[in-house]
Amino acid sequence: MTKLSLTINGRAHGPVDVRDELSMNDFLREYLGMTGTKFGCGAAQCLSCAVIVDDPDGTSYTSPTCVASAASFDGKTIRTVEGHAKGDELTALQKAFIRHFAFQCGYCTAGFLNEGQVLLERLAKAPVKRAALESTIAEALDGHICRCTGYIKYHEAVRDVILADSSRYLVANQ
Amino acid sequence: MKSELRFQLAVAVLAVATSMFAGYAVSQTAPQSLASPESFASISDTDARSAAMFAELGKVLTHPRCTNCHPATDRPRQGDEGRLHQPPVTRGADGHGLAAMRCSSCHKHANFEPGRMPGHPEWHLAPREMAWEGKTVAEICAQLKDPARNGGRKLEELIHHIGEDTLVGWAWAPGGNRSPVPGTQKQAGALVEAWVKTGAACPAQ
Repeated sequence: MTKLSLTINGRAHGPVDVRDELSMNDFLREYLGMTGTKFGCGAAQCLSCAVIVDDPDGTSYTSPTCVASAASFDGKTIRTVEGHAKGDELTALQKAFIRHFAFQCGYCTAGFLNEGQVLLERLAKAPVKRAALESTIAEALDGHICRCTGYIKYHEAVRDVILADSSRYLVANQ
Repeated sequence: MKSELRFQLAVAVLAVATSMFAGYAVSQTAPQSLASPESFASISDTDARSAAMFAELGKVLTHPRCTNCHPATDRPRQGDEGRLHQPPVTRGADGHGLAAMRCSSCHKHANFEPGRMPGHPEWHLAPREMAWEGKTVAEICAQLKDPARNGGRKLEELIHHIGEDTLVGWAWAPGGNRSPVPGTQKQAGALVEAWVKTGAACPAQ
């Protein structure tokens, strides 16, 4: 057993005793009832279960939860799909997903949303040239699998958000 | 006559079953051993002894536990079969993956067997110039002696890398149903040390 304490969407959880073999996905879904994070392949292949991990140094990355123990998240700060919107106000990326009808069944959406959000935050700190944007988005979303094959719509939605605020995400005059 | 035939058939089935289970047990529980440096003492020629010890070490270096993360391309391999890594990750600038998919995203500080996920705090790929996959033991030997292709290490530093590095050491205790590399890390380190001290000669092939 491990005593688990972590922050999820700005709210502290724990300490709570968890079995060492409990996956983070089960902790979120079964212990906390946060079912926005999906369980897909169970093998880190589809990333529908990915959440955002915010490191103390200000960097963020996504992490699958199906193949990781809950205990390995002790002390971490994470964000899940439930933490994006502020009340009824959706984020620019969520709105773009809806506008583009980027998802059909929606099972992969939480993972894509988290990955897209991490990309936006990364570009805000380290903008890229317009010429590199397509490959940057493709590379960021590359690990996520959508069985409804909504890849292009997800890509276009992320691109729209970036181009709508290009001074923030892209290197000027490039 | 009939009972004699039945007896022979039963013996044959028993023999096949026994050999199958014995083979299974060996593959599951008894990793291939590694000869000690002392066992090469009978080879009087120093170069030949040195090369023979490296050839023995080759059992470790060409094992999928090693070559999977010393791949020929930018994409690691996985499993005892050395199949291409899924999901399709690549090494990135520092060998720890691309910005959007770092090794540590999935590979945490320790194995997580319920998810069949191997782990170590420093999980990453060997540098591109240290690719071993598909190479002969002789080619790997020449590579290990070349600082441009061994991570800038002196030969003496290889003793520590192979004999003590904890990420390398994971290969001897990989957990799950993964085959460990032969022998022990200490034995492999001893072989490297003896190989270096005898002039680091390479086998012919």
